[in-house]
Amino acid sequence: MTTRMEPRAADEAGSWTANVRNRIVGLVPEGQALPDRQPVYVHSWIYVFGVATLAALAVVIVTGGILAIGGVAWWHVSSLGLFVNSLHLWSVELFFAFMVIHLWGKFWMAAWRGGRALTWITGMVLFLTSIGTAFTGYLSQGNFASQWIAAEGKDGINSIGVGAYFNVLNPGQMLLWHVVLLPFAVGAITVMHVVMVRRHGVVPPIDAADPSSPKEA
Amino acid sequence: MVSALSIVTDPAGHYVHWGVILISVTNLMVIVAMVILFVLALVVPFPGTRHVDDQERREP
Repeated sequence: MTTRMEPRAADEAGSWTANVRNRIVGLVPEGQALPDRQPVYVHSWIYVFGVATLAALAVVIVTGGILAIGGVAWWHVSSLGLFVNSLHLWSVELFFAFMVIHLWGKFWMAAWRGGRALTWITGMVLFLTSIGTAFTGYLSQGNFASQWIAAEGKDGINSIGVGAYFNVLNPGQMLLWHVVLLPFAVGAITVMHVVMVRRHGVVPPIDAADPSSPKEA
Repeated sequence: MVSALSIVTDPAGHYVHWGVILISVTNLMVIVAMVILFVLALVVPFPGTRHVDDQERREP
């Protein structure tokens, strides 16, 4: 049995699937989605912290998923739950440490050069969104610490006028922000950030030639 | 005498207070460790060969 294929040109004339496919294919230059070679200046530890942040994020997501199976109170009553909760906490600590060192490195490289402004902006938005995600995580611990943080944080949230919609004293609302809305935002912005990096290439040091923008060198 | 470990593990925590700056010893240690890691990342050589360097070395 064979499947008859329509001519490709006919597909591309007004077909939304073809348009979406072309947009996805055109997001990064050919061969740059998963490159196996990098410019020589990438041969430095300072270029490792972006992917180290991604690796920590993967552990955060996996351990968070396991915690979701057991529920909010699981880690209070189970040694396995406590272990997974600790993995979740420490992977978050590493996530932020790596992300901030990545930020320092990119700041001193002026990583917005060479048409990379959107890469820098998505990174900064991702940093701020991650702080919000971590904040709601601390509010979801189900202990005195989370109560203390909520009580201290409510005045700050009210002072910017969003307390009616983002009530830090409501643990159910904070848990859903922590496990649904904010992780979705972090995941989506992470994909945008990585696509931007792959689209424009890794930023070179200030005194090095940029292979992606010959004019600037 | 308070040992270094008890400064970190004491639930009440210890703080460094310098003018307007007030920070717990544990948070300060984390920041210092990150700065050290950042500096090490700049100065410690990355393992492996730099292929393009080899190519450049052959050029006159």
